[in-house]
Amino acid sequence: MDTQLTYAELASMMERRAGVSVEPLQLELRSAERFTEFGLDSLGLLGIVGALENEYGASIPADADACKTPAELLTVVNDVLKARA
Amino acid sequence: MRRDPISPAGRRTVITGMGVVAPNGIGTDAFWKATREGVGVLDRVTREGCADLPLRVAGEVRGFDPAALVEERFLVQTDRFSHFAMAAAELALEDAGLSAEGADSPYAIGVVTAAGSGGGEFGQRELQQLWGRGPRFVGPYQSIAWFYAASTGQISIRGGFKGPSGVVAGDEAGGLDAMAHAARSIRGGADAMVVGAAEAPLAPYSIVCQLGYPELSRIEEPHRAYLPFTGEAAGFVPAEGGAMFVVEEAETAGRRGARSRALVAGHAATFTGSKDWAASREGLARAIQGALAEAGCAPEDVDAVFADALAVPAADRAEALALADALGKHAARVPVTAPKTGIGRAYCAASTLDVAGAVLAMEHSTLPPTPHVTEADYGLDLVTGHARPAELRTVLVLSRGLLGSNSALVLRQDEPGAR
Repeated sequence: MDTQLTYAELASMMERRAGVSVEPLQLELRSAERFTEFGLDSLGLLGIVGALENEYGASIPADADACKTPAELLTVVNDVLKARA
Repeated sequence: MRRDPISPAGRRTVITGMGVVAPNGIGTDAFWKATREGVGVLDRVTREGCADLPLRVAGEVRGFDPAALVEERFLVQTDRFSHFAMAAAELALEDAGLSAEGADSPYAIGVVTAAGSGGGEFGQRELQQLWGRGPRFVGPYQSIAWFYAASTGQISIRGGFKGPSGVVAGDEAGGLDAMAHAARSIRGGADAMVVGAAEAPLAPYSIVCQLGYPELSRIEEPHRAYLPFTGEAAGFVPAEGGAMFVVEEAETAGRRGARSRALVAGHAATFTGSKDWAASREGLARAIQGALAEAGCAPEDVDAVFADALAVPAADRAEALALADALGKHAARVPVTAPKTGIGRAYCAASTLDVAGAVLAMEHSTLPPTPHVTEADYGLDLVTGHARPAELRTVLVLSRGLLGSNSALVLRQDEPGAR
């Protein structure tokens, strides 16, 4: 598994966990837009953060599910993964 | 019993849209064709994980593709019972030509559903994650998907309906009570309500919950499993699916050019407790009398009855006696039907499917038969074998719950200017 969360993986999780379909490239291009613009609600984001913790075996800060945009989430998650490496 | 009329001067409630997801058909056309022909679709339970349970026969909705009607993000976060409800609501809204965007105000449209068991399949999956892998593997949508109110909430969110909304957790009769609740909301000022019920009780955990009901049929041959009003009555067969409706204030509906399919004319509900079917005689009779009084109908006005038809001898007898008590001599003449013997009882949704059947029967001047039943006891004129041509202006729909609720709903052909 990648040691960094990518837009491709986040897009795949949004689809599997929340039924929100978005192309990885689109997610990256629009990474400063709010998750709600993609149709992802707060419970959906909570589920994605939980699934990321399970996949990486890492504890992600509790405020990760307060991230408003894909770019913010990637920063928070990858900071955790970097610090652990 | 409520005394104030369901449709007082000026604000009448009419059905302008119907959506059906039933074991015998998806969409009102397929549902009506199978219902009119008396097609029986009770069959072996094939839902995943159910094969080894002692419930052998049920009415399953097969070939249902929710993604054809509802977006994936609503499907991922909801149980099958909400998939049925959202799909049926979508069909009803299409039929009515109604949307929040096209309405005067989204606050004028509300949602009310009835639910008997909530999201059993989704809930079981997440609880298995909890005990199998740990709490970190339970998805957050578990918090809303299992809940009785999930379908109301999702229909409201998906459609943008912000009017008075609620859920009736009122036993099987709750399907009719939800219709009355919607009519009260119309009377209270709402322009339109999305109303109905859908259930998905054919999942392992849900079936195990039902195995405790002594009224559940254990007969293994589908055509013999659910035979109300006969000497072979041995309980009911459960089913999944449901029906949703758009009901509107009649004048508002007329102004926007919507077709009125039927008038929701009267309703009453009583409670006589569980485990005493003989007592439901008085409760059901009082409900019928209350519903007729509210509709301003005499017993002779009732052109047909869609029976509760539980197929437990004491309950069948009580229903026949309730009709005699409430309708007098007319009870021996009025045709009675129970199309649900062909598809099973979908708990709260059994009565909403009967409402859909009753509206279609009025529109087609045709009473559908009671599949699998060839001859009825208790002095009832039960429609068996083939559909029967009948001029139907007023139809009575009856429902009882296993826990003691009794409800009656009167539907009438809408006559503009009446009342």
